[in-house]
Amino acid sequence: MKDRWEIILSGVGGQGLILGGSILGEAATVYGDAKATLTSSYGVETRGTFTKSDIIISKREIYFPEVMKADVVLALAQAAYDRYAGKLDPDCLLVFDSGTVTAAQNVQASQYGHPFNRLALELGNPAIANIIAIGTIVGLTQAVAREAFYQALEARFSEKPKAAELNRRAFDKGLELAGKKE
Amino acid sequence: MNPNNSIRFIQGNEAIAEGAFAAGARFYAGYPITPSSEIAEISSRRLPQLGGLYIQMEDEIGSIAAVIGASASGKKSYTATSGPGFSLMQENLGVAVMAEIPCVIIDIQRSGPSTGLATKPAQADVMQSRWGTHGDHGIIVLSPSSVQECFDLTITAFNFSEKYRTPVILLADEIVGHMKEKMIIRKPGTYDVTDRKQPACDPADYKPFQADADGIAPLAAYGSRFIVRLTGSTHDETGFPNSKPENADKFIRHYTDKIENNKDDIVMTKEYKLEDAEFAVITFGCSTRSALEAMDLARGEGIRVGVLQLVTIWPFADSQVRALCSRMKAIIVPEMNLGQIIREVCRVNDSGIPVIGVNKVNSEAITPFEIMEQIREVSKCRK
Repeated sequence: MKDRWEIILSGVGGQGLILGGSILGEAATVYGDAKATLTSSYGVETRGTFTKSDIIISKREIYFPEVMKADVVLALAQAAYDRYAGKLDPDCLLVFDSGTVTAAQNVQASQYGHPFNRLALELGNPAIANIIAIGTIVGLTQAVAREAFYQALEARFSEKPKAAELNRRAFDKGLELAGKKE
Repeated sequence: MNPNNSIRFIQGNEAIAEGAFAAGARFYAGYPITPSSEIAEISSRRLPQLGGLYIQMEDEIGSIAAVIGASASGKKSYTATSGPGFSLMQENLGVAVMAEIPCVIIDIQRSGPSTGLATKPAQADVMQSRWGTHGDHGIIVLSPSSVQECFDLTITAFNFSEKYRTPVILLADEIVGHMKEKMIIRKPGTYDVTDRKQPACDPADYKPFQADADGIAPLAAYGSRFIVRLTGSTHDETGFPNSKPENADKFIRHYTDKIENNKDDIVMTKEYKLEDAEFAVITFGCSTRSALEAMDLARGEGIRVGVLQLVTIWPFADSQVRALCSRMKAIIVPEMNLGQIIREVCRVNDSGIPVIGVNKVNSEAITPFEIMEQIREVSKCRK
């Protein structure tokens, strides 16, 4: 297993990417024994414009906290996909929402398209598409242990058992999708 | 793991607020401004739970004025701001210097001048933090490069402010303030907390500016048994205005000397792989992280590079930097400004070695590759 993962979570404001990155970071550091950093950039508006979070998970010390060479890119919106798809190396995993993104042909990265937003609706809440997608990333990379992610979810939603359960199911759904190319 | 500590994955700004609570700070007055707003937000929620007080003021001028008043009343007090807010605080920062009021001002640097690229990072308030308020004075400025340092240095900032009866500036930046990282919230009893000296004399004999042998005068609280006269005007030991030249000379020198004469205690640096280094990167704040990454890249190419991190920016680490210049072939100074720390490095570069800046003001972090490029250049020239 790799000892360092550089992951970009991108989409538009309101999709819960910073929150998803935070839970991933908590799983890695508080409930796992790795180091992690999370930096984000977003527009002045809170919803609807391009946003991305860089999360680095590593067994070693992390100095520069921005992604230098992406191992994984999540694109939950067309604007995010278009920004990265053409620039990625063949060993990068490009995970995208196949329901809202039209995939390009000349992409070197390994592409994993799944209808995260539609699956979230089917599970009962459009707000959990981020967690399904992160489940897929965790399934593909093992960047954090599943158990650690469950613990991070439980801690985050400790006062909302229903939300905890829903997010857990979303994460499991994502894990199930990992490896299946649509 | 020490069971007394707790691991968190939080932002630098959250860690600064936690550090303030841990240091015993119980009063915050401020006017929220990105990228410092989380400090206000967390303080507003937590201070009342800790028996403290949070006030959202009408602006930054009022904010620091309230902080000075609260500290004079005996509460450890702080405010957080950024960019134009820090500019507005400069006049009253001078009041805190003149009246020798312990307080902590947190500046999460963002791009300027003026409104600038609101919310985007910079490291361009280095000279403002030193000389932003008018008149001769000493000042203590600390700069964190990690979330853990945000917590630890905030405690240190309060301790220095109480020990030396002076405002202390925590000069962070948007990158460190908004970055989330693993850190340990230290439990009380596992770190030092300094409280200001209280007068031991009879209240009738108390003079708020009469220094003890260590150069620092005890500070009684407003509303206590002691009468505390504080003013921004030049004053004597009693706190009454006194415009005699010899008195002005004594006190104006005191504001500088009480800081500069204690550099052994105040100046903190961290060294990375300098033992065998031929080239050094001198850095602070967020750029430290790029420098450390570049150091490892360079060593991968066989170039022996080390890093000197300035944890205390002011007073400047003259002797440490001078000594480093005397044994390096060249020095690189990356900073997200057009060259502020580099002026200080050059000032003490008695050996005359090349000192090269890596400067960036487009709101993007300096990358390790940009520092690496300069390292390659100097290593070629000096072979």
